[in-house]
Amino acid sequence: MTYLVYPGATHRRFEHSLGVMELASRVYDIITNPENLNDQIHNLFPETQDKDQLRYWRRVLRLAALCHDIGHLPFSHAAEDLLPEGWDHEQMTRALILSPDMQKIWSGMRPRPDAEDIVKLALGKKKAADLDFTDWQSLLAEIIVGDAFGVDRMDYLLRDSLHTGVAYGRFDHFRLIDTMRILPPPAQGDEKEGSSEPYIGVEAGGLQSAESLLLARYFMFSQVYFHPVRRIYDIHLKDFLSDWLEEGHYPIDTEQFLNNSDVEIVSAMRQAVKIAGSPGQFHADRIINRNHFRVLHEGSLNDIAAFGGTMNAGKIAQAASGQFGMDNVRFDSYPPKESTIDFPVRERDDSIVSAQAKSQVLNRTPAAAFDYVFVDKDILPKAKAWFEKNKSDLLAVNEEE
Amino acid sequence: MKEEQNRAVLMTLIKSLRGKGSWCGETHIQKAAFFLKKLTHVPIDFDFILYKHGPYSFDLHDELSIMRAFELLDLEVSYPYGPRFADTDMGNNLLKRFPKMPAQYQKQIIFIADQLADKGVAELERLATAYYVTLDNPDSDQEARAKAIVDLKPHIKLDAARQAVCDVDVMVEQVREEALVAA
Repeated sequence: MTYLVYPGATHRRFEHSLGVMELASRVYDIITNPENLNDQIHNLFPETQDKDQLRYWRRVLRLAALCHDIGHLPFSHAAEDLLPEGWDHEQMTRALILSPDMQKIWSGMRPRPDAEDIVKLALGKKKAADLDFTDWQSLLAEIIVGDAFGVDRMDYLLRDSLHTGVAYGRFDHFRLIDTMRILPPPAQGDEKEGSSEPYIGVEAGGLQSAESLLLARYFMFSQVYFHPVRRIYDIHLKDFLSDWLEEGHYPIDTEQFLNNSDVEIVSAMRQAVKIAGSPGQFHADRIINRNHFRVLHEGSLNDIAAFGGTMNAGKIAQAASGQFGMDNVRFDSYPPKESTIDFPVRERDDSIVSAQAKSQVLNRTPAAAFDYVFVDKDILPKAKAWFEKNKSDLLAVNEEE
Repeated sequence: MKEEQNRAVLMTLIKSLRGKGSWCGETHIQKAAFFLKKLTHVPIDFDFILYKHGPYSFDLHDELSIMRAFELLDLEVSYPYGPRFADTDMGNNLLKRFPKMPAQYQKQIIFIADQLADKGVAELERLATAYYVTLDNPDSDQEARAKAIVDLKPHIKLDAARQAVCDVDVMVEQVREEALVAA
């Protein structure tokens, strides 16, 4: 739905997947380059000294990168809640990678990649918690899905920045990738014995590129992904699909799942607008005729902090629904959950330090978050007056009962 | 537990760890929270899986970031070490508004802080992994559990894994003797 705010954002997930595959390959080649490894890493990861293993895992990583998003629904995250309970796009990705159709592709390759290995690297431990990961597999999954330098994030920031025209999503990814290394974690105070479980970090010379990536992330989230009009279009889309889809949710049967694309959904919305009484007509009209809800309340991070860390959109929306009817009010919130990222940095004297300790930029980069309440534009003046009158009660600090 | 109550318990755990000398980086908090939930059954709302340095909760990682962004926690840095979490005025204000859960689980929080505050990351990783393995294999003897730790975390030496299993068994016994399992 971003293209309704940034008209250039018509790029597709396939391009992104190719980009992720390319960047993942570059990172892999850099971090497994013998010049960038030492005995400690060789001991922890025997794979780095076995050419066949290195070739096998390079292929698995590339396949995982290519397939990491194949379970996405039309319009990506917008209507992911409409999958049956316990399912999300990562579970669909897993189901597709393990499906008989894709097993046929894997079985035609030599050496044959294990589909479960592809799943592990594509999803990472967070989304494949039931699978056992070796430290090597965890590290390789970090190349794709890692918080700090995951190439999924690198590619979508760069690509979305290009297509939306929001220039500050750019950063020097070539420099960043060239300086990435497998490193031990930094010490935590003057402890006698630190952990030796390694992470992906950077050489000191790449720290500014890493800072630039994390700032780009903050700007892109604030300006593009969390744009209020984009968020409300996602909600209108979800409302439409909830009415339009059979039984109100997406199928998880892989064949049926693949029958739905952005094109089918847009076509269905256009039809719904034309034909009176069509399922989802009211919501389709909101999107096709750009008749979207307007912002009634936007909670800033400072406001939320001042109110003791409570995001109030849900509470305000509930009260507003009581006043103006449920059909006229929507809300959407996202907490600032990605503000603290640390990784090891290798100084020029070979010592390992914390990126948070070395970089004031990282330490002070704010978190992106939003807390929106939207109402139908026809009731906006009345709703604003109501909100002003009741603001102090609605934004009160929570107390224990 | 409500969101604010969950935060109040976490905040109290962090303050207790710091008060007893812990560095209190994320790994210290992760492992202490794991023991608080799994060993003393305090119902904090975090799920743990085996990941970096042993049991790890992505929810807890997010929650620490959220609490920092809301100024309920501060992140102190001192070159070249990893960052450490500390309480703030806003955080202490939260504790005043939500005192019930920290009071209810005070004994358990103090026990965990007493046991773990002086431990470094490597030892916490071994202990927490040992307890994770113990929960998964309640009928296995110490040697089998030590070997399971080394299988999961090859950078841990077998002798160190054996010691971790022994230490964890002592903690389990102490919790039983002192009736520290939360109701």
